[in-house]
Amino acid sequence: MSRRILTVDDSPSMRMLLRAALTEQGFTVFEAEDGVDALEKLEAATPDLVITDINMPRMDGFELIEALRTGDVQAGLPILVLTTEASDEKKARARSAGATGWIVKPFDREKLGAAIRRVLH
Amino acid sequence: MSIMSPIAPAPTRRLTVAQGDSIASGDHDIVFTTVLGSCVAVCLHDGRAGIGGMNHFLLAEPAPIANEDARLLNRYGVHSMELLINAMLKRGAMRQNLKARIYGGATMRQGLGEIGNNNIQFARRFLANESIAILGENVGGTSARRVEFRPAAGLSRCKTVSAEPIEQIVKILPPASGDVELF
Repeated sequence: MSRRILTVDDSPSMRMLLRAALTEQGFTVFEAEDGVDALEKLEAATPDLVITDINMPRMDGFELIEALRTGDVQAGLPILVLTTEASDEKKARARSAGATGWIVKPFDREKLGAAIRRVLH
Repeated sequence: MSIMSPIAPAPTRRLTVAQGDSIASGDHDIVFTTVLGSCVAVCLHDGRAGIGGMNHFLLAEPAPIANEDARLLNRYGVHSMELLINAMLKRGAMRQNLKARIYGGATMRQGLGEIGNNNIQFARRFLANESIAILGENVGGTSARRVEFRPAAGLSRCKTVSAEPIEQIVKILPPASGDVELF
């Protein structure tokens, strides 16, 4: 059964690129446009992994990770951050909030797929 | 008795937007400038916030990927646009207020194929995806262009120039692009 990934990004173009890259590698993808939308989507369905951007309106990636780690969602749900940000300070903040990993955009399709498979197995 | 001019004074600080750059400002004293051949520059402006931004990119051919919707979306182009939009949002712009103008994409010489046109098509496709209205374009043709953009006011000016800019296809990458770190 194909593993399900929730991608969270406010850019439709980035979501489209991610969908193409992930479905070609056998993953099932569903999408949210920001943290608030992600929390709503997670009430209806639980993915095997979340990939989230940081800079988003309404609820950013940090707030989403904190909400997922303190809320009533599947414990241990892997959360990968995919962002243009590369600062150690922001990476440390994501780590302390409970992120599973950090990937700098623009993503490499093979590296992204390998990281997902490593986290899921 | 002095008379105040109703027209804002011209900006005095000129910032060159080089290939690969994505910058934004709300400073009335700044004008962004760039020279384009096959490259494309997208100028974005939020009129409510008084914030503008410009990038400058040259992309290779679209990626040979199976998904037709994503084929025109070069990931380096998406990255350049995301850097530009993020720079504007950090200064107070709102995504839903953004308006765009597209410049460049000339065919400077044979051998560069459809690169200029591909860059124009990418910019149009990206902006349509993001629901960002295109207010104007000065694109295509065979001549280089000089573009000036006043980011705070959202005013731009484009002139054909005889000089041929030095351009090369470069990947617009942050220092650790694509790197994966698992915690």
